[in-house]
Amino acid sequence: MTNFNWLLDGSIVGVYLLVTMIAGLWVRKYVDKVEDFLVAGREMNVYLGIASLAATEFGIVTCMYTAEAGYKYGFAGATPGIAMAVAMLIVGYTGFCIKPLRDSGVITIPELIEKQFGSRVRWAAGVVIVLGGLLNMGVFLRIGGQFLVQVAGINVGYLEITMTILLLGVALYTIFGGMLSVLVTDFFEFIVMCVGLIAVTILILVNIGWEKIVTTVETNYGAGGFNPFVHPDLGWQYVVFQFLLNFAAVLTWQTTIARVLAAKDTKTGQKIYTRTSFFFVCRFLIPGIWGIAALATLGKMTNTLDAMPIFLSTFVPIGLMGLCIAAMLAADMSTDSSYMLTWASVIYNDILAPFRKGKWSEKRGLFWNRSIVALIGLFLLFYGLWYPLEGDVWTYLGITGTIYLASISVILIATCYWKRANSWGAIGSIFFAAVIPITYLVLEKTQPETAKAIGAYTSGIAAYVFSALAMVVGSTLKNMIGGKSA
Amino acid sequence: MKTFWFILTMAAVIWYIFVTAYVAFKGVGDIKEMLANLTKKQNKD
Repeated sequence: MTNFNWLLDGSIVGVYLLVTMIAGLWVRKYVDKVEDFLVAGREMNVYLGIASLAATEFGIVTCMYTAEAGYKYGFAGATPGIAMAVAMLIVGYTGFCIKPLRDSGVITIPELIEKQFGSRVRWAAGVVIVLGGLLNMGVFLRIGGQFLVQVAGINVGYLEITMTILLLGVALYTIFGGMLSVLVTDFFEFIVMCVGLIAVTILILVNIGWEKIVTTVETNYGAGGFNPFVHPDLGWQYVVFQFLLNFAAVLTWQTTIARVLAAKDTKTGQKIYTRTSFFFVCRFLIPGIWGIAALATLGKMTNTLDAMPIFLSTFVPIGLMGLCIAAMLAADMSTDSSYMLTWASVIYNDILAPFRKGKWSEKRGLFWNRSIVALIGLFLLFYGLWYPLEGDVWTYLGITGTIYLASISVILIATCYWKRANSWGAIGSIFFAAVIPITYLVLEKTQPETAKAIGAYTSGIAAYVFSALAMVVGSTLKNMIGGKSA
Repeated sequence: MKTFWFILTMAAVIWYIFVTAYVAFKGVGDIKEMLANLTKKQNKD
C-alpha cells in the first residue's frame, strides 16, 4: 500500500510527461546538420549547460545507489560526491584536458586521440567507450522500474511495459531533436527534479529530524558512519579509488564531456564545470539522507537497494508523491536521452569513421545518427529490461565503468600533455585497464577468498596505476626502438 | 565530523534552492538565445 493517488499524483505525472514530450519534439525543426544534432550547433550557454549537466548526471539509478550508500555506510557513503565535486572544480578552474579538447573543435574524445595516436587507436578507444558506456547504462531501466514499482505501487507485472512506454517517448524526441531536444527537455527536467528533491528532503529533515538521522548513523555504524577512513568496509583504498574514478569521469565520461563540447566556447565549458561542481555533493548527500531516513524508520533490511523507495512509498503524502515521482521520471528521462545520444555520437563519429569514406551529406549523416539512437534504444530495451541480469549490480557498474574510464583518461591526458606518447602506450593502457577489472570479476566468481583478500577498491586502484604505467613504458619502449632504428 | 556533515547538508539544501531558482530564471534566456542563433545560421545557409 502506498500514498500514490492515481487521480491527483497521476495527473501531476501526466502533465509533466506531456509538457516534456511537446517541448522535446517542438525543437526538432532547428536540426539542420549533424553538428546541430550531436552538439546543438555548439550554441549552449552556461545556465542551460548547468541544468543539462545536473539533470543528466542524476537518474533514478543514481538516486537508488546513493541512497543505498547512505543506508549502508551512513554519511561516509557520500564521499564519492565530495570527490567528484573537487575533481570538477579543479578541472573546470584550470581547464585541465577540457581546454585543449574544446579548443580542438572535435565532436568526441577519440577524434582528438587520433591526432596523436592514429586511426586504429581512435577506433579502439571508440569501441572501449561504447562498450563500457552501453553495458553500464544497460541496468538503468530495470532499476528505474524497480523504484516506480515500490513507490507508486505499480504491479510488478507492468514494470516492463511501463518502462518500455517511457523509453519510447524519450527515444522519440531524442531521435528527432538530438542534442537540442536533450538540452531543452533537460532544462524542464532539471527544474521538476530539483523541486521534487528539495521538497522531499525538507519533509524528511522536518518530520524525522536531524538529531534522529545523526543518532541512527551513530548507533548503526559508529565513527565509521561519519568518516570513511575508519569505516571497516571502506578505508583509505575506498577514498583513493573514489578520487581516481571521479577524476577520470569528469575528464572522459561521455555524457559529462558532451556538455563541454556543446558549449559555445571553451570558457563557457569551464564555467559549466566550476558552477555545477557543488551539485555533485548534493547528488550523493541528498539521496544519502533519504537512505539514512529509511534506516531510521524501517531498520535493517536484507534488500538494501529497495529500502529508500519502500520508505518513500508511505512517508511522502498524496500530492507531493506525484511531484516526487515526476521528479524521478524527470531524472531518468534526462539521463536516458543524453546517454543514448552521446554514445550514438561515438559510434557515428569514431567507430563508423573507417566506413565513411568521402564526405557524407548532412541528410545521410542525420539519418545514420537517428538510426543509431534508435538501435541503442532497442539495445536498452532488450538487454536492460527484458533480459534478466545475473549477479551483483554494483560489481557490474564498477567493472564496466573502470574498463572505460581508466584507459581513456590516461590516453586523454597523454594526448593533451605528452608529445612523446604513442600507440604502443595507448594500446598497453587499454589492455591493462580492461584486464585488471575483468580478472577481478573472474576471481570473485572462481576464487572468492583471493578476491576478498585483494579487495574491489585495491583492484580498481591497480587498473588506474597499471594503465598509466603501461602508457609510460609502452611509449618509452617504442621511442627507444624507433630511435635506434633511425 | 558531525558538524562537518551538518554544515554540508545545510549548504546542499540552500545551494539547491538557490541554484534551481537562478538557473530556472536564466536558463530560459539561454534557450531563446540558442534557438535564435540556430535560426540565424539556418537562414545564412
